[in-house]
Amino acid sequence: MSFLKKNTKNIVFTIIVILLALIPLFADIGLLKSSSIVRYGRYITFAIVAIGLDLIWGYTGILSLGHGIYFCLGGYGMAMYLLMQKTGGKITDFMQRGGFTELPWFWKPFLNLPVSLILILVVPGLLAALIGYFTFKNRVRGVYFSIISQALTWAMYTLFNGLQPYTNGTNGITGIDTIIGSYYDSTNIKILFYAALAALVLVYALSTFLLGTKFGKILIAIRDGENRTHFSGYCVSSFKTFIYVLSAIFAAAAGAIYVNLNNSISTSEMTISFSVSMIIWVAVGGRGSLIGAVIGAILVSGCEFGISSAFPDMWQYIIGIFFTVVILFFRRGIVGFVSDAFQRLTALKSKEGSAA
Amino acid sequence: MSERTILRLDKISVSFDGFKALTDVDIDVKENTIHFFIGPNGAGKTTLLDIICGKTKPTAGKVMYYPSEGKSIQLTGTKEYKIVGLGIGRKFQVPSVFVNLTVQENMELSLKNGRKVIESIFAKASESDLERIDEILDMIDLKDKKNVTAKNLAHGQKQWLEIGMLLVQRPKIIMLDEPVAGMGKPETYKTGEILKKIQESCTVIVVEHDMEFVKMYSDRVTVMHEGKVLTEGSVDAVLSDETVQKVYLGRGGERNA
Amino acid sequence: MDIATMIFNGISTSSILLLTALGLAITFGLMRVINMAHGEFIMIGAYTTYVVQDIFSKNLPESFFDLYYIVSLFVSFGVAFLIGVILERLVISRLYGREIDSLLATWGVSLVLQQAARSIFGAQPVNVKAPSFLQGSIGGTTSFSYVRLFIIFVMVICLLGIWLLMYKTSFGARMRATMQNRSMAQCLGINTKVMDCVTFGIGSGLAGIAGCSISLLFSIDSTLGTKYIVDTFMVVVLGGVGKLIGTFTGAGVIGISNITLETLTSASIAKFLVLILVIVFLQWKPQGLFAIKSRSLDE
Repeated sequence: MSFLKKNTKNIVFTIIVILLALIPLFADIGLLKSSSIVRYGRYITFAIVAIGLDLIWGYTGILSLGHGIYFCLGGYGMAMYLLMQKTGGKITDFMQRGGFTELPWFWKPFLNLPVSLILILVVPGLLAALIGYFTFKNRVRGVYFSIISQALTWAMYTLFNGLQPYTNGTNGITGIDTIIGSYYDSTNIKILFYAALAALVLVYALSTFLLGTKFGKILIAIRDGENRTHFSGYCVSSFKTFIYVLSAIFAAAAGAIYVNLNNSISTSEMTISFSVSMIIWVAVGGRGSLIGAVIGAILVSGCEFGISSAFPDMWQYIIGIFFTVVILFFRRGIVGFVSDAFQRLTALKSKEGSAA
Repeated sequence: MSERTILRLDKISVSFDGFKALTDVDIDVKENTIHFFIGPNGAGKTTLLDIICGKTKPTAGKVMYYPSEGKSIQLTGTKEYKIVGLGIGRKFQVPSVFVNLTVQENMELSLKNGRKVIESIFAKASESDLERIDEILDMIDLKDKKNVTAKNLAHGQKQWLEIGMLLVQRPKIIMLDEPVAGMGKPETYKTGEILKKIQESCTVIVVEHDMEFVKMYSDRVTVMHEGKVLTEGSVDAVLSDETVQKVYLGRGGERNA
Repeated sequence: MDIATMIFNGISTSSILLLTALGLAITFGLMRVINMAHGEFIMIGAYTTYVVQDIFSKNLPESFFDLYYIVSLFVSFGVAFLIGVILERLVISRLYGREIDSLLATWGVSLVLQQAARSIFGAQPVNVKAPSFLQGSIGGTTSFSYVRLFIIFVMVICLLGIWLLMYKTSFGARMRATMQNRSMAQCLGINTKVMDCVTFGIGSGLAGIAGCSISLLFSIDSTLGTKYIVDTFMVVVLGGVGKLIGTFTGAGVIGISNITLETLTSASIAKFLVLILVIVFLQWKPQGLFAIKSRSLDE
């Protein structure tokens, strides 16, 4: 019996959520800087993305190097709405510089909140459905899927940078407020922080539920033996598409919340390297366990901030080497390492006990 | 033994990059028989199974399936998972069970309900399904291993589990690719007895090298050679055939050719 | 732009693509290693050229300066080969048969190599000066620059060299034997460890030569590799993994369609469209232009 069975995992998750929930209170009494609220808020959105990625990679065996696309589509959708709030629906500077006299057509729906919210989830969902349907139906898989997803990310990145008058290119959309008012109001930030945390709990609960059903077992079956799953009578591509779309929607939702806590979004969040960072979170935390994804996302992002602000040159060395070592020797990440260590410890103890 | 044809291969040919793996293969499989495909390596036996279950598309010819009197379905061009749904199960040469799931979970995955995405989220195995799983587990001697993760099973047990998974689907035809390869005498015997039991409710197609096994359990044997059907008939008739002895048995004798 | 220039640019772009993808065709196609640090080997080649140039201009009389480039072609191969061999021993050798993990682990390596380049050479881009015999161009209204002609020449030499090595020497036969069936090759007395190591080294060395060639056209910084990694992978996958002729065709198709589309729209939109077209094509033919048909279950 391995340590960190379902119950233990849920307990660990509850502890993490409680700790996170205390952050605004710690900030209030001066134990943490007030800026850590938005910072941890962003990490929470990363954890949401990581759960989605773990569903497709850790459980289903689909390695996507392009989840940044969905994160950014959600993020840009939210940012466009927020920008339109700020300009009062008027045309922006970068559009004017691009020679526009009126708002481009695809900006118009973002004048309206309910429509924006729907688009934020539906557009990435549809794109994922399109990509998933075709690639999975045509049995593009393994590294080929990864390479294609990477190429798609690069293509989108080039497109967003190239469409300067529509998207403001590499600068992205900046200086926006949050969905509930000013970015510089600490109450707003706290509300948003707890909203992000609530979203994390929701996503975690939904994912845990799904994995417990027959559906979840089928995902694992696909990962371990895709061909065999066909011959058990399942249309593998529709299962893959479904979970891929779901994880894209998680990423989009995370992106939309992230923008509120980040005040801006740009194509730097659309780079391949950001998408691979998401994979690093999951790999370091432990693929194939939701709690691992959550721990990985928060821990790696936290360390990145801490180390790169103290030693700007060191972070890439550290994460590069650490990540390589994890892939080489600790395939199940931190969670796997801890649970193995615990198992060995209990085995040792029971031996001692029987010897005595 | 019924004389009704349940599966007909009609002029099947297939080539891989110019290499002709099968040429004009015609075979009729009768309902509720244990039908063996035998022949030297490279004769095209496994490719035949691949074609029936939809994994490989033939270059020419078609596969017809007659699930019941007066009903016919063309299998060529049908997707693998749909062929499974029609009642044709296949066991691969290498045991391919889902190694990270328990025996029970492996069996439940093979149930017919919850095969669509949304259904699968809310699917629960019914009482009768669970009973049936128990029955089958009993037959394949895995009842006390229900909650064991499949990767911890012995080789033979994995083979049986995979056969069990096919049976859960209540198939009309099951195809087995070298089910006793790597098995010892008692395990081989046990597998044969399982096949006999299966035969009561469905048709069994087996690719096998173990001639001892073929002799003991076959109703009908098709001998393949270089992608063609050499001869077909009862095991005694086939083994006394001169051409068969020349191309096949002459090389390896009755040892595992 | 007139047709002649367009064709020339298309060939030039294709030859750069082919040069950068050739090493990947070996590591990915033959060894099934997904080397995400391949771009960084291109970067290593480019920086090596810069260093050799620096040494020449500081230590040798000016009349020898032009020679630096010829020397760097060999030195960049050597340096990239060496680092490739080290990487193979430390990381790749533990990952044979684990394609996805090889992709991820080499990504970690690429992060380290990029940061190392920044630590050594700084964040600012550096440039190399083309030797005098490569400056200028021939032709009148439609001019062909010597540098681009030279890159085409280097590409042809590399392609020919690899083809000869792989198919016409006993070393190549042993190399292919190892990659196709490791245990059988061992039984025949081939030292497969050395073969793995050298093969990966050659793949990396070729990236080094590509970097050396590219340095004549563009400035060099630590992100040089990331600009090429996607294109090179697409070339190899489009052509069909494991076929040299496929890589050749893939580079040609992508290079020429890039140039053609660029005349119709902007450079970035053209790039976007080409990538999308390749992706759509791969939906239709997932195995690429030159597929190897296989009967095994999990190809």
